[in-house]
Amino acid sequence: MKKEITKYYPLIPVFTAYLFLFLVGKNISGMWQLVAMLLFYCAMGQAFNIFLGMTGYVDFGYVAFMGVGTYGMALAITNLAHIEGLGIGIIIIGFILALLMSTLLSMAVGAVALRLRGAYFAIATIGVNEGFRFLIEGARIWNGSEGLIFTAQLNQILGREAASSLMTYWADIMVLFIAALAAFVTLFYMRSKIGYALTALREDEDAAKVMGINVTKYKITAFITSACFAGLVGATSWALKTPYVFPPEVFEIHYTIEAIIIVLLGGAGTLLGPVVGGLIYGISKYYLSIFMPGFQLLIFAPIIIIIIVLFPEGVVGMLKSRTKGSVLARFII
Amino acid sequence: MLTVKELESGYGPMQVLWKPSLQVKKGTITALLGPNGVGKSTFLSTVFGSVEPWGGTIHYVGEDVTNLPTHKKVEMGVALVPEGKHLFPNMNVYENLAMGAYVKKALEHKDESMEIVYSLFPRLKERQKQLAGSLSGGEQQMVTIARALMTKPKLMMLDEPSQGLAPVLVQSVFETIQKMRDEIGLTILLVEQNADAALNAAGYVYIMHEGLIKAEGKPEKIKGSSEIREAYLGI
Repeated sequence: MKKEITKYYPLIPVFTAYLFLFLVGKNISGMWQLVAMLLFYCAMGQAFNIFLGMTGYVDFGYVAFMGVGTYGMALAITNLAHIEGLGIGIIIIGFILALLMSTLLSMAVGAVALRLRGAYFAIATIGVNEGFRFLIEGARIWNGSEGLIFTAQLNQILGREAASSLMTYWADIMVLFIAALAAFVTLFYMRSKIGYALTALREDEDAAKVMGINVTKYKITAFITSACFAGLVGATSWALKTPYVFPPEVFEIHYTIEAIIIVLLGGAGTLLGPVVGGLIYGISKYYLSIFMPGFQLLIFAPIIIIIIVLFPEGVVGMLKSRTKGSVLARFII
Repeated sequence: MLTVKELESGYGPMQVLWKPSLQVKKGTITALLGPNGVGKSTFLSTVFGSVEPWGGTIHYVGEDVTNLPTHKKVEMGVALVPEGKHLFPNMNVYENLAMGAYVKKALEHKDESMEIVYSLFPRLKERQKQLAGSLSGGEQQMVTIARALMTKPKLMMLDEPSQGLAPVLVQSVFETIQKMRDEIGLTILLVEQNADAALNAAGYVYIMHEGLIKAEGKPEKIKGSSEIREAYLGI
């Protein structure tokens, strides 16, 4: 039994970080906006890490899963708003729809793209995001390029006051929970057979196959799991926080790049990595744009290069090898 | 134990194997020889399932396994030692070996297999904690073979086990292969370019050329035929 508990020790630093963020946002006035942004980056990193970090495959179309998740929530609210007495249930239906849509899309993408490896996989996935956006716009699916705006419906179902506290506060709390859940699932995978299979696969896919590992199955599992969390992040951070959705805004490759940076900065395949990466990225972005508006990217790029050169395994990867053998090693993975 | 009939396969539009047939008897070492680029590795990959067969049949211990995926074959006791030392470089030797015992049946016998492996390769026991990527070429080849042993195989297929090794090491690799047959009772199918070494170790030999079996027989017969030696083996 004791061993069972020590298994989950590495969650302590992760959850402490999230709790700290929450307390800072709640108690220091004016900080909530920054905290919300940091939570978003941490959640996105944590979700992407399940795929990028654990398999070593770079998915350039990742944001598409966040996009369809956003649409899932938006469609549930716009289409079901007329039903009386649904109340908060509509958000639950929205989450289910978001999960369903990101699962379906990831299954479709995975079935084709996961046959490819390395750079070929990356190239194949770039198209997914753009393709999906143009499909929605061109074929006028889900209101096409005009997007969906559902502030009114949200107000109608939940009442003006509740809707506004949902947008400014509860949506962020949900993001916090999603991030924490993603961290839990990551650790659960790491500690189970899937984790070993994925580690082998990341190190050498051919060798993993020779070992009798069904690599396709585990790749798809990681891909779908990661996509589902992306869908949830989209549904909260984008749909509930700002109750409208436009294709060019949610299918924006910029977010994929940010997610890749966060995971690599923190340490791909580590549990704590996305949190550290998300904090470094979010805080630098926020303050650089305040103090040096317009120059943030110019300054941020060299910072990223320095970190990657100094810690090629990411910040947490470095911590992990530094603490190897000490008591701390139990908490940092 | 393994019967392959008129196997066909290739990559994209290019056919590599043109119906070679081969048989491996239980408890023997069978060698598949031939120069570079004649389809030997493709043959092993197709038998193992990492390359899809286009035609022909593969029977293993009496069962048709032609279209079975690789992980199912590993569970049935087929192991492949791939060409060019596919190790997990960032794991230590012990972890590499432990990964070998991934499938359920192998996991149940993990400790037992580990003992067998360490008695066969005492060197690896000394190097347990060392990262696999930092080992010498010969030691890495040992780890690859040892890791395949951890899957608890009945049939082990080796793809160019002597590749890139110094002549002394080549000899020790072949000694190991013979030991695995004698002490563990493995059946072995190996693919080699180093015809000399393989001819001395094998009990039966097939010569492959341009995706076809051109000759077969006991090693003495192959050694005795200057025609075969000159045409296909260059010795």
